[in-house]
Amino acid sequence: MRRVLTGVLVLGLLAALVPSADAQKRGGTLTIVRPTDPVSLDPNLETTAPGAWVYFNMLEGLLTLDEKMQVKPLLATSYEVMSPTKVRFKLRPGVKFHDGTPFNAEAVRFTFDRALNGKPPARWASLAGSLSGAEVVDNLTVDVITKEPYGPILRTLAMYCMGIVSPTAVQKMGADFSRAPVGTGPFKFVEWKTNTHVIIERNNDYWGDKALVDRVVFKVVPEEGARMIALQTGDADMVLFPSPAQLPALRKDPKFTVHETTGIRVVFAGFHAGLPPLDDVRVRQALLHAVDRKAILDNIMEGSAGPALGVLAPGVFGYKDMQLDRLYPFDRARAKTLLSQAGWTPGPDGILTKGGQRLSLSWLAARGRYPKDGEITEAIQAMFKEVGVEAKVQVLEWAAVFQQVRGNPLNHHMFTLGWVTSNADADYSLYALFHSKQVPPAGWNTSRYANPRVDTLVEQARRSLNQTEREKLYGEAQDILAKEMVWIPVYTTKEIIASRANVKGFQIHPVEYNLTLGKTWIDK
Amino acid sequence: MTAWTRFCRNRLALLGLALVLVLTLSALLAPWLAPLDPARQSLIEKRARPGGKYLLGADEFGRDILSRVIYGSRVALLVGVLSMVIALVGGLLLGTLAGFAGGWLDAVLMRGVEILLAFPYLLLALAIVAVLGPGALNTTIAVGIWGVPAVTRIVRGSVLALRETEYVGAARALGSPAAALLRRHILPNIVPGLIVYATLFMANAILLEAALSFLGLGVQPPTASWGLMVSTGRDVLLVAPHVATVPGLAIMLAVLAFNLVGDGLRDALDPRLRGSA
Amino acid sequence: MLTFIVRRLLFAVPVLLGVVFVVMLTIDLLPGDAVTLMLGEHATKDAVAALREHLGLDKSFAVRYVDYVGRLAHGDLGRSIQQNRPVAAELADAWPATLQLTIAALVIAAAVGVAAGVVSAVWPNSLFDALARLGSLFGLSMPIFWTGLVLIVVFSLWLNWLPVGGAGSLSHLVLPAMTLALPSVAMVSRMTRSAVLDVLGEDYVRTARAKGVGEWWVLGKHALRNAFIPILTLLGLQSGQLMGGAVLTETVFAWPGLGRLMVKAIFARDYILLQGAVLVFALAFVVVNLLVDLSYGLLDPRVSRQG
Repeated sequence: MRRVLTGVLVLGLLAALVPSADAQKRGGTLTIVRPTDPVSLDPNLETTAPGAWVYFNMLEGLLTLDEKMQVKPLLATSYEVMSPTKVRFKLRPGVKFHDGTPFNAEAVRFTFDRALNGKPPARWASLAGSLSGAEVVDNLTVDVITKEPYGPILRTLAMYCMGIVSPTAVQKMGADFSRAPVGTGPFKFVEWKTNTHVIIERNNDYWGDKALVDRVVFKVVPEEGARMIALQTGDADMVLFPSPAQLPALRKDPKFTVHETTGIRVVFAGFHAGLPPLDDVRVRQALLHAVDRKAILDNIMEGSAGPALGVLAPGVFGYKDMQLDRLYPFDRARAKTLLSQAGWTPGPDGILTKGGQRLSLSWLAARGRYPKDGEITEAIQAMFKEVGVEAKVQVLEWAAVFQQVRGNPLNHHMFTLGWVTSNADADYSLYALFHSKQVPPAGWNTSRYANPRVDTLVEQARRSLNQTEREKLYGEAQDILAKEMVWIPVYTTKEIIASRANVKGFQIHPVEYNLTLGKTWIDK
Repeated sequence: MTAWTRFCRNRLALLGLALVLVLTLSALLAPWLAPLDPARQSLIEKRARPGGKYLLGADEFGRDILSRVIYGSRVALLVGVLSMVIALVGGLLLGTLAGFAGGWLDAVLMRGVEILLAFPYLLLALAIVAVLGPGALNTTIAVGIWGVPAVTRIVRGSVLALRETEYVGAARALGSPAAALLRRHILPNIVPGLIVYATLFMANAILLEAALSFLGLGVQPPTASWGLMVSTGRDVLLVAPHVATVPGLAIMLAVLAFNLVGDGLRDALDPRLRGSA
Repeated sequence: MLTFIVRRLLFAVPVLLGVVFVVMLTIDLLPGDAVTLMLGEHATKDAVAALREHLGLDKSFAVRYVDYVGRLAHGDLGRSIQQNRPVAAELADAWPATLQLTIAALVIAAAVGVAAGVVSAVWPNSLFDALARLGSLFGLSMPIFWTGLVLIVVFSLWLNWLPVGGAGSLSHLVLPAMTLALPSVAMVSRMTRSAVLDVLGEDYVRTARAKGVGEWWVLGKHALRNAFIPILTLLGLQSGQLMGGAVLTETVFAWPGLGRLMVKAIFARDYILLQGAVLVFALAFVVVNLLVDLSYGLLDPRVSRQG
C-alpha cells in the first residue's frame, strides 16, 4: 500500500513539474510598426531608439535593468568592488554567441576596447562616463576599469547599448557587422531591407528561457495615422508611439491592449537664467505659476504622459519629488503679484513693461523632436499672454534648434527640450544640466545655472561608490534647485505601446530602449 | 467683343472672380469678420465639434477654426501675391536678358535656371529660412524664387519668338534701340500670357506654402496658416476630421478660385491659347 | 540630330556639377551638421571632433568639393555619412520605388486623362463633359498631402480594401499612385479636350466629314494623331512635376523612394547622400527634357512655336 502511495505521489510530483503544454503557445510572427528605420544595428554606431529596439533583443550586457529599475545580473553572475576604479565580474558559463563561438572575458574586453578605443569611438562612449575598459582575469572573470572613481558604474553597465558582441563576427564581417550584428541574445538577425523592415528570429540555442515567438518583424511606417490603421486592420500586432488622441478609445476596446508605464524622460521649457529679465528669480517663479500644467497633461498629452514632479523622472536613481504642484501651483493672481513685485506694470496693450522695456521673451522650439513639443510651446505661449508676458516663438527644424541650444551664446530667453537620463542615474542628468562648468558647448547647462553648493554636491556624488551617500547628496541638490527653478518641467514621458489583445506576456519597460520581447507570445 | 466681355460671359470665370473677391475681403476685413480671437486658447474645449460658439469647430487648442481660417486667408494671399510678384519680376528680368542678349549670356543664364530647377525645393526653402529666419514672409520669398525659372523660360521663349517677327525685324532694321523695342513691341505681347500664368502660379504658390507648413517650415505660432492647420489636424484625422478638413477645403477653394480666373483670362484674351498648357 | 543629343548631354555636365556645388554650399551654410546630429545630445565634444576627422568632414569646402567631383568622375558616389553605406547602394534601394510610383502615376494620368479628355471633346457640353471639367478643376486644386490622407481614411480604414502604407505589392501602389496622379489627370484631360476640340474644328476634318467618312475614323486617324504632340509634350513636362510631387506622396504613404530619402538626408545634413539623390533627379530631369525637346522636332516638323 505504501509503495503504491509513494508511486502516486512521485507521479503526481512529476506531473506537476511538467509545464502544461498549452500555457504559452510558441510560434508565430510578431509584427511591430514604428516611425523610422534604424541607422545601424551596432550600438557603436547607433544609440537611438530605432536601432536600440532591435539590437536590445540580440545583444546582452553584463548587467541589465529590470522593469522596476533595479540592476540585475545578465551575462555576469556576480560582482565585487576591488577598488574605487575597479569592479570584478564573474561571467556566466556555457553561453554562446549566435555564430557558435563562446562568450568569455576576452569578448567583454574586445567589446569595450572596440568601443572606447576604436577610431572613431563608439556612440555610447559619451554615455559611459569614466569607463576606460576591461581586463581579462581568467576565461570567466573580467575586471571593469574606470579612469576615476565613478559612482554610476553599475547602472552604466546595465544600459541597453552595452551589449557584448562576438569578436569573431566583428573581425570577419567588418563594416557589414553594423547591419547584421551577432550577440548572445534570445533573438538573432535574419534580414534588413532598408526603410522597409528588419526581421529577427528566435535563437534556439539561447542560454536562458527561449523566446516564445518564431520571428519579429519591425516595419517602418512614418505616418502616425497610418500606424494606427495598421493596428486596427491587423497588419501590425504592436505599435510603438501610438497616437495619443486614440488611446482612450483603444483602452476601452477589448480587441487591443495599451501597455504603459512612467518613463525616464522629462520634457521642459527651459529658462536662460543669465539673460534678463529671467535672471530675476521672481520672474521665473511667476512664469511657473502662470502655467496650468494639468491642463496641458489632460488636453494636449491626453494621458500619454505623466506629470513632471521634478527635474528627474521617478525610477532614476537619486530622484527626489520636488513637489512642484505644491511649490508652484497654477495661480495667475500669484504670478501677476510676483511680476509686479519685480517691478513690471501693465502697458497699453496688456503686455507688462518696466522702464520702457516690454516683457517680451524669445523662445526657441522644434516640432516633433519630442512628443507634442511644438504644441506645449504654443499652449504655454498663450498662458503667458494671460499674465501679460509676450513670448515670440521660433519653431525651427531640430538641426537648427540643436545647434543653438548647444552653442554659446544663446540669444533666446526660453527653449523647449527634453532630457533622458540614459543610464538611469541622477549623475547623468544633474551634472550635465546644472553644473556651472557644463555650459554649452562643454555640456548641457543650457540654462546657464550657477550655484557653487550644487556644483560641490554633484561632484561629490559622482566620485562616491556609496549609493546611500549619493542619494542624500542628490536630494540636497534637488532641494536647492526647487527654490531657484530654471526650468518649467512640463511632463515626464510615459512609455506607451499599443498592441492587439492577443499579444501576451509583454512587459513594458520605463526605459524606452529596453524593448523586451523574450517573453512575448501570440495567442492565436 | 472685347476680352472683358468674353470673360464676363464665362460663368465659371465669374465664379472664380467672386471667390477671389471673398478671399481678398476676408483677408482685409479679418479683424471685423472673425467672431473670436484666433489665438485665444481654451484647452478644455479642444477639438470641439462645429456648432454653437465654434461655428466650424475648434482645433486642438480650443481655438476657433472659423476665425483662424479667416485670418489664414491673409497668409494665403500674402504668399500668393507676393511670391507671384517676385517670380514675375525675377523671371522678366532674366528672361528678357537671356532672350535678347543671346549668345553665351543666354547659355549661362539658362544653365543657371536649370540648376535651380534641379535643386531640391525643400533644401531651397530651408536655406532661406536659415538665412532669413522662419516666418510667412520668408517662405514667400522661397516660393517666389522657386517660380523664377519657369517664368524665365516662358519670357525667354516669347522674346525669342517675337524677336524674329517681321515688324520687330523691320523696327530693328530702322535702327530702333533695344529698350524701345522691348517697351513697344515685345512686352505688350508677353503680358497677356504672363497674366494667365500669374494667376495659375498663385494657385500653386498657395499649395506650396501649405506643403512647406505641412513639413514644418512657415508661419510661427500663434499665426494661422491653412497648411499648418491641415498638418497639425492630420494626427486627429480619425477622431476629429473637421480640424484638418475645413482648412483643407479653404486651400482647395482658394486654389480653385485662382485656377478658374486664370482659365477665364486665358479663354478671354486669346481663344487660340486654349491649346497650350 | 546625334550632335544635338550629344551637345545637350554635354551641356548637362556643368549643370550637374553646378547643382552639386550649390547643394554642398547650402548644406554647409545651414545650421547644424551631420556629425552632431548623428551623435545626438549626449555626445562629448571630443567624440564629435573625432568622428568628424574620421569622416574627413573637418576639411575645407573647396577640398571636399574637389574630392567629391574627383570621385564622381570615377563613378564613386561616396558613402553616406549616417550609415557609412555606399550611396549607390542606398540609391539603388530607393530609386526603383520612386520610378515605379512615377511611372504608375504617369500611366494613370495618361490613360484616365486622355480617355476623359477625348470623351469630353467628342460630346462637348454634355453632363459627362461638365462633370469631367469640374472634376479636373477640383483635382488641380486639392493639396496632395490632404488628398492622400483622405484616401487613406476612405479606402484603408472605412472600406478596408487597400493597405495603409509601405510597399510590396500592387495593392500598395494603388493609393499613392492615384494621389500623385490626380493633378496630372486633371491637366492632361483638360489639355486633351482642348487639343482634340481644336483638331475637330479644323477644315480638313470638316471636309472629311462632308465626304461621309465615319466619325470614329475621323477621330482616330486625324484628331488623335495631331493632338498627340501637345499631349505628349504635356506628359513629358508632367513627369518632372510628378518626380517633385513624389516627396509629399512618399511621406504620407511611407513609400520607400528617393523623395523620402532626400528629405531625411536634408534634415540629417547628410550631404553626400543628398547629392547622390539630387544627381539622380537632375539626371532624370535632363533626360526627360531632352526627350521632350526631341519629340518637338521629330514628331512633327510642321509645328511652329508661336507665342
